[in-house]
Order: sequence, then structure tokens, then C-alpha cells
Amino acid sequence: MSLLAVRGLTRRFGGLTAVDDVSFDVHEGSIKAVIGPNGAGKSTLFNLITGFDPPDAGSVRFDGREITGQRADRIVRSGLARTFQNTELFEELSALENVRIAADLGVRAGFVRSALRVGLTAGERESVEQARRLLRLAGIAEFAQARASDMPHGTRRLLEIARALATTPRVMLLDEPAAGLNGAETRTLIDALYRIRDAGVTLVVVEHDMGLVMEIAEEILVLDRGAKIAEGPPLLIQKDTAVIEAYLGEECADVGC
Amino acid sequence: MIRTRLAFSPYVAIAIAAAAVAAVPVLSPDRYLLKVLVYVGVNVIVIAGLALLFGHAGQISMGHAAFVGIGAYTSAYCVGHVGLPWLVGALAGTALAAAGGLVLALPALRLRGHYLAMATLGFNEIMYVAFREARGITGGGDGLGGISYPEVAGLSIDSPVGVYLLVWGVALVVLLLVANILRSRPGRAMRALHATENGALACGIDTVGLKIRTFALSAGLAGLAGALYAHSVGFISPGTFGLDQSVIYVAIVVVGGAGSLAGPVLAAIALTLLPYADALIPGLGKDAVALLQDWEADIYGIAMIAVVILAPAGIGGLLTRLRIGRAGEAHV
Repeated sequence: MSLLAVRGLTRRFGGLTAVDDVSFDVHEGSIKAVIGPNGAGKSTLFNLITGFDPPDAGSVRFDGREITGQRADRIVRSGLARTFQNTELFEELSALENVRIAADLGVRAGFVRSALRVGLTAGERESVEQARRLLRLAGIAEFAQARASDMPHGTRRLLEIARALATTPRVMLLDEPAAGLNGAETRTLIDALYRIRDAGVTLVVVEHDMGLVMEIAEEILVLDRGAKIAEGPPLLIQKDTAVIEAYLGEECADVGC
Repeated sequence: MIRTRLAFSPYVAIAIAAAAVAAVPVLSPDRYLLKVLVYVGVNVIVIAGLALLFGHAGQISMGHAAFVGIGAYTSAYCVGHVGLPWLVGALAGTALAAAGGLVLALPALRLRGHYLAMATLGFNEIMYVAFREARGITGGGDGLGGISYPEVAGLSIDSPVGVYLLVWGVALVVLLLVANILRSRPGRAMRALHATENGALACGIDTVGLKIRTFALSAGLAGLAGALYAHSVGFISPGTFGLDQSVIYVAIVVVGGAGSLAGPVLAAIALTLLPYADALIPGLGKDAVALLQDWEADIYGIAMIAVVILAPAGIGGLLTRLRIGRAGEAHV
């Protein structure tokens, strides 16, 4: 059974259909990649699934439950986390605090309990420990006390992944995690993604780095101008004429390359 | 990495402050000084609430003076007209102001920055007109006089020292509770919301609920301050709760520094004392005091501009640089 089931998802901006009747499934424990030329609707698709943008039509089912149109924070709490194409970190805070804020989901502390500080210490210690563990898992433990804004680009992307992990997700949607990374940083990222998958988190990755996509993805979904044009394992996608056409342009397809 | 852990526990800071508060009437039981310090204590309570809402959660309110007014008039009416005990009146004032905060939270769910500032500013103007026109309750533009002193367990607190100790006792408790909130989960969620709302949502933070609760709490604290003010001073009029006062509150938080509690509190103390400098410096001439009072708004403005240019993190930022630690930031 699929953990995440997307059916007929559609989003229009004025006359433009950014996401056009897209359906696909994500199976538990797998890594799925979403690729497509710029403006194909990949980020919009992520926003629709994660509640950051309301769909005009279609449905998203997560673990058998309908989550279409729910508020973003609620979707995260139900176990579907995400990162952003342009990182949305808490820049003034340390890396540890960034992750800790997400780990706070496990701490039961409303305004009244917090004001009186009744029985919070154990839970807080635990969430700090959890945050440290995730920084290690992401391979950025040495930046724990660094301000997010002071961190190198590559480690910032890893920090956002660690923060998403702190919400204890079952599925994680990563929007261009390798954008702007150099070769070594991409290698670190790939290792981290495998560790995360092995820890039991299902991954959906929007990515332009084809090397990364072909290496890690078990299945690839290809979007072009908002619509799904292909879906399948990497080897088949590489040979798919519709995909080659979308990437290389129609002129090239005319001459048969 | 070894880090100096100089971060004050709020309990230590509050204990030191309590000792200072207790020392004042012993060292100088001057009536005028105590009266001025009551104003300061009232403002400290308002600023604690606004530092939470604006300084930490990043939600601006240009309408906090209106909440102080709601608390003041509600309490004065409940005690004076209805005949309720002062404690009940003060609680009613706090509750009604908090309810007003809930109303103001609604635009905050949709508006940001300048637009939220405009909406809250409009709220203050509406309430100002209401205070002036609802003569049956508020006494209209002439104000409401003869408000009874606070009364606890049948004992009227009518001495200057008593009123001073009551206001500052409440202020210190409020500061402790607010500091605790800031170093706990809701405080971290506020800083997250301030930094990036999308990031906060991605951490599973219920930003809608957080804004509503923070607005209500912040407005409730302003209402509590109003209730204390009305019964300490005995006279209130709409002019005290106008837009200009709301602007001053915002200026105090800016000068004190976003993301800090100690900074805004120190700024509240300094800037509230400014026009009453003669209470601290007995030898100060009448002309000098008049000059300070005439230029009060200008001094606030200059302080704000200076902070924005020279020390954008405000007094709180300077405290952090001195490694005194930041209220609410748990050093883990």
C-alpha cells in the first residue's frame, strides 16, 4: 500500500495551470525523485501536498487519511515534513536551537505550564539530546553553536534537513537539497539521505542534479508544464522519448536525436 | 567548546530586582518618588507583554495603550459602579483586555508588518473615541476621578508605600512568568515565528494558535497594568490611553531590543523616569524638568533613531554582548 497517494492534484494561477491533474504514489521506505525543467511545477506540487498552498482540485492521502487542504503545521505534525528550495531557517538562532524548535513538538508545554515551569526539564533535556543526535546524523554536529546565518551554504541545507527530521516524519519532501552544493557537499548529502532512508523515513526529492537523482532514486516522476509526462525507474526514464523531448526541446525531437 | 555560562537564571534576576524594589522605600520614602515609580512599574508590566508580542513573536501592536485603557476603565467601573471587590475588578479588566487582544489577533492572522501596524493603530483610535464618548462608564473627556484604592482581603492599600509595593510585586511576578514562557516552548515558537513563518510551520508550530494566544496574553497584561494604574492614581482620562502612548510603548521595545526581555524592561524604566528626573535628582531645577518634559517625545524619537542606526539589537543586544545573557535564551 502506498504511504502517500496523490490523485488529480491541480493548481491554477490565473490563466496558468501550474500543476495539472498530477497523480502518483510513494511507497514506504522508498526514495522517489521529482524532476522536470524549470517552471514544470515541482515546487508548487510540494506546496500543495504539504499544505502551504491550497489545491484547486485533487486529493492527497497520507497513510490512508485525507490531508488535502489541511493547514501546513497540522500536516507536519501528522508525519509529513519538508524542506524549502530557498532555505527557511531561523537565521539568528544557533543550529542547535533551529533543530530544537522542531524537536519541541515532543514537549508538552502550553503557556500556563511554561509560565510556571512545571515539570518541563526532563522533556526539554530530551529534545535537546534529540536535536544533537540529528545534527550528528546530518553530519553537522560541529556547527551546533553556530548561528544559522553564519553557516556555509551546504551545511545550511543539511541543517534544514535535520530540522525537518526533528518533527519525526514518516515522509520527508526535500525541495532541491543539492542546489548550490559542490561535489564534496553533494556526496555528504547523498550519504545523509541514505542514512535517513535507512532510519525508516520515506523520501521524495525534487532535484536538478541528475547524477544525484539517478543514483538515489528508486522511482522518478517527470513533470513538464505542470503535467506528469513519465514515471518509472531511472533506467526507463533515461530512455523515455517524452522526457528527452521535454529536456532537450522539440526541435531536437524533430531531427530525431 | 567551553562556553561561559553567565546566563542569569530569571529567578536570580528577579530576586535581585525584588531586593532593589524593597530597598527604595527604606532609603527614601519620598511620596513623589514612589508615585513616579508606580508609573514605572505599570509601564514595566505593559512592556513585558509587548516584548512578548512584538519583541519576540514579531507581531506589532500600535494599540497597546487601548488595552491599558480597557483594563483601567473596566476595573474602575466594576469597583466604583458595580461595587465589586478590587481584585475582581482588576481580573475583569485583565480578562476584557485579553478578549480585546483576541479580536485584534484576527487581523494579525492575515496581515503583516505595516498593514498590521495600521490595523492595530485603527483599533487604538476606535477605543480612544469609545473612552471619550461612553460617558456613562468612562466619564467622557473630563475623565473619571475618585477611583478607590486597591483593596486586598478587606484591607485598603492606600499608603504610597503600599501602592508602590503592590504594583512592583505584581510587576516582578509578571516578569518572572514572562521570562519563563520565553525560555520554554512557546517562547522558542515565538522566535521561530518572528524569523520565518514558513519555517515555523515546517516545524509543526500552530502559528494561528500561537498568534491568538500571544495577542491575548499581551493585551491581558496591558489590561492588568491599566487596572493597577487606575486604582493607584485614582483618576483616568482618555488622553492617557491614546495613540501617542501606544507609539511610546513600541519605541520602548525597539530601544530595549527585539528578542530580549531585560532590555525593554530597562528601557521602560529609563524612558518612563525621564520626564520625572527631578524625583531622582532632588536638586534638579524646575526649568530643567520642564525642558525634559517639553522634549520628551523628541528624546524618545532620537533614542529610537540612535538605536536603529548604532545598535539595532537595542539595549538587549548590548547586554548579550556584555555576556550577561539574554532572557529567554536557554544556553544549552
